Amino acid sequence: MRFHIEVVHPERCIGCYSCVYACSRHLFNTVDPSRVAVFVRVNGSLENPFTVIACRFCKNPECALACPKGALQPLPEGGITLIASKCKGCKTFDCIDACMIKALALDENTNLPIICDRCGDCAKYCPHNVFKYEEMK
Amino acid sequence: MMLSKVLYVNLSNKSINVVDRPDLFSKYLGGSGVASKLLLEETKPKMDPFSPEAPIIFTTSCMTGIFPCIVKAVSMFKSPLTKNLGESHAGGHFASALRFAGYAALIIRGASDHPVALEIMDDEVKIRMADSLWGLSPLDVEKVLRKNDKGMQSVISCGRAGENLVYYSNVIVDRYHHFGRLGLGAIFGSKKLKAISVLGRKGIQIDNPIDVKDMYDKINQKVVKSDEMAKYHYLGTSANMLELNELGALPTRNFKESRFEDAKSISGEAMAESMLRRKISCPGCPIACIHLAELRTGFAPEHEKGKKEIFHEEVSVPYNYEPMYALGSNLLIKDRRDLILLIYHCEKLGLDAMMTGTVLAWATEAFEEGRINLDDTEGIKPEWGDAESYIKMIDNIVEMKNKFYVKLAQGVVAASEKYGGKEYAMALGNNGMAGYITGYGCIVGPLVGARHSHLSNSGYSIDQKIINEPIKIESIVDFLIEQEDWLYVFYSLGACYFARRIYSKELIVEALKTLGINKTQEELLNMGKEVFHNLYKFKVREGFELEAQNIPKRIFEVQTPHGKLDFKLIKSMIEYYIKRREKEGISLRPEEKAIKELLK
Repeated sequence: MRFHIEVVHPERCIGCYSCVYACSRHLFNTVDPSRVAVFVRVNGSLENPFTVIACRFCKNPECALACPKGALQPLPEGGITLIASKCKGCKTFDCIDACMIKALALDENTNLPIICDRCGDCAKYCPHNVFKYEEMK
Repeated sequence: MMLSKVLYVNLSNKSINVVDRPDLFSKYLGGSGVASKLLLEETKPKMDPFSPEAPIIFTTSCMTGIFPCIVKAVSMFKSPLTKNLGESHAGGHFASALRFAGYAALIIRGASDHPVALEIMDDEVKIRMADSLWGLSPLDVEKVLRKNDKGMQSVISCGRAGENLVYYSNVIVDRYHHFGRLGLGAIFGSKKLKAISVLGRKGIQIDNPIDVKDMYDKINQKVVKSDEMAKYHYLGTSANMLELNELGALPTRNFKESRFEDAKSISGEAMAESMLRRKISCPGCPIACIHLAELRTGFAPEHEKGKKEIFHEEVSVPYNYEPMYALGSNLLIKDRRDLILLIYHCEKLGLDAMMTGTVLAWATEAFEEGRINLDDTEGIKPEWGDAESYIKMIDNIVEMKNKFYVKLAQGVVAASEKYGGKEYAMALGNNGMAGYITGYGCIVGPLVGARHSHLSNSGYSIDQKIINEPIKIESIVDFLIEQEDWLYVFYSLGACYFARRIYSKELIVEALKTLGINKTQEELLNMGKEVFHNLYKFKVREGFELEAQNIPKRIFEVQTPHGKLDFKLIKSMIEYYIKRREKEGISLRPEEKAIKELLK
């Protein structure tokens, strides 16, 4: 099952990292806030509200355009898919720099960008409904 | 596979090394258990808490970061306040960041001769010169050391109070959390260690992902859906203010009374209505028990020449029940803004707000009685309900302005030994009392508890369960023993006390199994008991005598929900407690000493 996910109430975030931990469990069987496709960012101090970032599933994604190898393929419903065989060998990681909201992280274990696969776990585990999510037809 | 790497940092010779200790972690799992053993390993008998050899031990556990509410780091050290066991637990990002950086424990040895900060980024560990941080508030240290980098970062630091060796200074963790009690801040200060920043980016690999996820879901459902933690999520522990007032168990005016007529004004309900700005969680816990008050302070007098204050300083101040009682009802502070101001003042300086309240309440009464005068206080008249005077006194304590303030900086027992007023120096085992005057459990519990905390064995909760029932010595003591033994299993997992009703014994056995750790309930219970025994081994070695502990007379003068407490009953409880513990093969007194009179 795949979901459309949107960060709608970042100001409700309490910094519990339930979304982040769920994401790394789902993608890599780890608990690791540096290997995720959803981000809870501290802004200078924990005194400030958190920033919550998830892929916006752009129709014309800047990350895909930035990739010199065409390894990130835009999908008709928005967002991207990764063709790992094309990506390997790239050392520039232009895709990661290109994403204006920094929703794309590099997995340092594999040297591949981490792509949201729309599993919806971030939204399901959030206790404060920071995310809106609905099943994709 | 269990993480068991211990990072040793020596501030004297600047050496850094990592030692794998599977022996300790497979036996004790982490947290208080591993720390209790490391403490015995790392200390020589009767060492000065401020000597370079005195270690600071931090531990995480095999469950840290993996299951909900397993968020606490445990610290152990020799307390300058009690000259005995220092044990304090903190939430925030610290335990998770350490674990994600690949360490199960961190031990600081030695001392620097100039201010330093410890910076850990996974395998990269640096002891950095930190003159520029010295003197800064922990709240500012958190800001300047905060990186906006990937991974999980934690910043912990002592404040001016720690730098100046106030015996009850704390270490503030990620701005809103604390290694609050028993003076870890002063140990930092004595080592010239201002701060530790940990950035963890390795994460935790899960070997058995399907079972672990199922277990996570099972626990998480209980956390978010059941009522077990709803109190902490809703008003937080500040809900206690009105509950205890109603019960007649709210320490007021230095425990002289057990009801506060203005409790409503400083209650959790009033705070939530008028000052609550937002709430914050520890990573890995969806409850968000940390309630932050918005404190707005106009600065018109200097900025707008005294005209109407249209512009304000604005800060977030964490509040919960213990500081609210200690700096609120116990000092007759009835204005909630004043209360938050007092809490904020302790935060900025890095002081244990509970002990600060205890000390100020004692000083107010000692002043009323003429035991101290305006010369002692540097011209400040301590007065019930007067936040302004109290703030000035707090500054003088931290700066140790004169001989009197030096004594106040050493705690309420030290001050009362010099100036008198021991009858109302409200400490048990030298640690300032928590905000409960509920009955026998809230006195005997912290007195016998290894770290003299109300969280040692939940004595205050048994009191509330048996109101209107006749007092049974055995059943109260049995409860305390059972609780403390079990809580040391819980604390060895780095679990948060607030989640104690979520994690049943069965659930812990099952959860450990998903991590490949097979322990029966009985094995766990034996382990908890052993941890307690380790700690008492340390305590007795350092000269702790349960029977020689002073109980302030005030305890027997105030009305509680169980009426006025009877000294003889407390004495019987302690005798029975010692008998029961000795049956387990643990001595609660230095062998050479004869039994002393309990109340001197």
